[in-house]
Amino acid sequence: MTHVPVFVIISCLGLAFALPVLCRFRPRPAGWLVRALLMLNTALVARVLLFVNHQGTFYYHLGSWPPPWGIELSIDYLGLFTALVVHGVSLAVVFYAQTDLAGEVDPRMHHWYYTLFLLLLASMTGICFSGDFFNIFVFVEIATIGACGIIALKRHPDCVEASLKYLILSTLGSGLILLSLAILYMVTGHLNLRYIAQHMPTAWAAYPLNVNISLALLVVGFGVKAALFPLHIWLPDAHSSAPAPSSAILSGVLVKIYAVALIRLIHTVYGHKLHQMIPVTQVLLLLATLAIFAGSLFAIGQRDIKRMLAYSTVAQMGYIFLGVALLTENAVVGGVTHIFNHALMKSMLFMAAGAVVYQKGFRRISDFHGLGREMPITMAVFGIGALSMVGIPGFNGFISKVYLAIGALDAGRPVYVAVILISSLLNAAYYLPIVTRAFFNQETGPATFRVDRLPLSMKATLVILGGLCIYFGLVPGSLLRLVQKAVQSLLAT
Amino acid sequence: MRIVNGIAQNYFYFASMVIFLIGFHTMLTHSNLIKKILGMNIMETAVFLFVVSIGYVRGRAAPVVGGEAQQFVNPLPSALILTGLVVGVSLTAFALALIIKVYQYYGTVDADEIMQIRSEER
Amino acid sequence: MDDVVLQTVTLMLLPFIQTYGIYIMVNGHLTPGGGFAGGAVLGISLILYALTFHVDEAAKVYPRRKAEALESLGALVFIFIGLLGVLGGAAFLTNNTSFLSGQAGTLLGGGFILPVTVAVGLKVASTVVTLFFHLLEEEKR
Repeated sequence: MTHVPVFVIISCLGLAFALPVLCRFRPRPAGWLVRALLMLNTALVARVLLFVNHQGTFYYHLGSWPPPWGIELSIDYLGLFTALVVHGVSLAVVFYAQTDLAGEVDPRMHHWYYTLFLLLLASMTGICFSGDFFNIFVFVEIATIGACGIIALKRHPDCVEASLKYLILSTLGSGLILLSLAILYMVTGHLNLRYIAQHMPTAWAAYPLNVNISLALLVVGFGVKAALFPLHIWLPDAHSSAPAPSSAILSGVLVKIYAVALIRLIHTVYGHKLHQMIPVTQVLLLLATLAIFAGSLFAIGQRDIKRMLAYSTVAQMGYIFLGVALLTENAVVGGVTHIFNHALMKSMLFMAAGAVVYQKGFRRISDFHGLGREMPITMAVFGIGALSMVGIPGFNGFISKVYLAIGALDAGRPVYVAVILISSLLNAAYYLPIVTRAFFNQETGPATFRVDRLPLSMKATLVILGGLCIYFGLVPGSLLRLVQKAVQSLLAT
Repeated sequence: MRIVNGIAQNYFYFASMVIFLIGFHTMLTHSNLIKKILGMNIMETAVFLFVVSIGYVRGRAAPVVGGEAQQFVNPLPSALILTGLVVGVSLTAFALALIIKVYQYYGTVDADEIMQIRSEER
Repeated sequence: MDDVVLQTVTLMLLPFIQTYGIYIMVNGHLTPGGGFAGGAVLGISLILYALTFHVDEAAKVYPRRKAEALESLGALVFIFIGLLGVLGGAAFLTNNTSFLSGQAGTLLGGGFILPVTVAVGLKVASTVVTLFFHLLEEEKR
């Protein structure tokens, strides 16, 4: 059982390398192989979660080299939680991609798409589990290549340009992360996260400047990748031009993985004593608040549905950083729960938007008149996602917002409750008009049909995700217990 | 005087910072995409130089089993940078491939001109 | 491109470059260097050949399909050797010195390190060549 986390990563990498050879002449089976592997891996991650719940967290030493020499995988609740989110969303995305890809990517390139997708998946899982700073950096770089690849595979000038922009800014981010890593290694002499944490107090006493610089570089480096507000400029282009499955995985999961990595590094490596001396959480709070408002305001101004969803992601990343930077247990629970909730909602919304593009061929929001009568299931699911984004009770978005608000009160900063309330109104201002326009507008939009009916695989994926949104809105107990365990171990160190 | 001394003793750190800024400046100010990628590479090289110089001690040998040297440099930063180089190569290759695609679509590799073409299309 | 001097010098140099690449690759556990450095030298020798003669000429010597297959194969061999560690009852990528159990410090004394560096070297060499071919083809299209 202890070998399972490494098997999950390695099997993704292995299939990614095998696909170009296996599917050179017949690209069709690629999708089925990937779906089978993902189902297996999702089950395995869930099984490891049960195992950890029973036996406690454990460490895995690659090559049998114990730390501080070898690379260590630390299988803890936070890692397992995010790995489960990654695999769950990816599973939905590959089932959806089965038919959607045909409309957006050259059929001869499908197995390359899956290769890049698997590389991305392996690296995201690796970032979740890794307990070694340099290993995290390597996975971050692989994720960058995979992410840029699945954007650029669609033959469209916008995609290539967005991908290049993303690549350049991302490389800047990883350069800063590497520099931060080097400075930390210089003062602590370790790369293993636990060992760096142990040596941090002495390093802070002797070289406060180095620790400060490394923390600043780390926040900016991961901030670029996680689209923290002033560093988000690559995100709207990249996420709106990409093929729908790529948008779902990039906006739904990838940006959050970087947020998780940043949270883990800030909390476990730098620790709480340093937070009182370095105002990093204050900076994060300010940026998160700005992100929430600016993202929503930009989203209101968009005419393209996918661009609007992309700007909404900027705002929602603000909630996650807000929760994490408030530092009280409830707020961090809210932030981490929002990782799951937003992954579910946003991937669903992007897939619903992709389904509209697939069937109708338009993306302008003004064309959505009366669409609810023509595509009832898709627009109903979109409506669920929209209500959940706004934070209506009974949908899963509500849960994380409640915890964020309680956490803000715990921290003695009621102003952030106001921030959450106002931003919910702003969310309503750009999500609800689409739903009302689709269902209650008597006019009908352009009657262009690219295909008559939505394929079953798309419909089923959307309905299942919509069902999960409602399920976790009504019965969030099991999810919250898992998140609480993750947060407690995070804050205890 | 203290600052000058500090720079003189740690000249490799100082040099890597200067190179980093050169790369960063090239990346941000030049509108030619190829030059942007060159700037990106210079920036990465500066980081690599910085990391390698952390582990370097003058006059010591590489730690190899069976060698004759008695004192060794820290091999870990060099090993890390080898990995960093690999990643840098693949990123550069990927970026160049994308630039070729951009050139096919727009007929130019200048970011400003591409912006102009795009705004005219709208 | 048909420069006799260039082609003759290249033909004379190639064996030395390739021997050097293989030397670095195989001695990865004894001297500085290893799979990546050796593989890069090997790959560059093939690029040199393609540059001085013609790309089509090089594609005959080193077909692209085979390069791509070798690239995947190198990574898969690496993963397979890693899994051998799991089969041996230890963690992933654990070295087992009963395989190639020569004296430490000799070529055959590194356990799994030798096959791993060779696999990595072959992957790097073919990757470098494939990248070169791909960039060139994009240009033509």
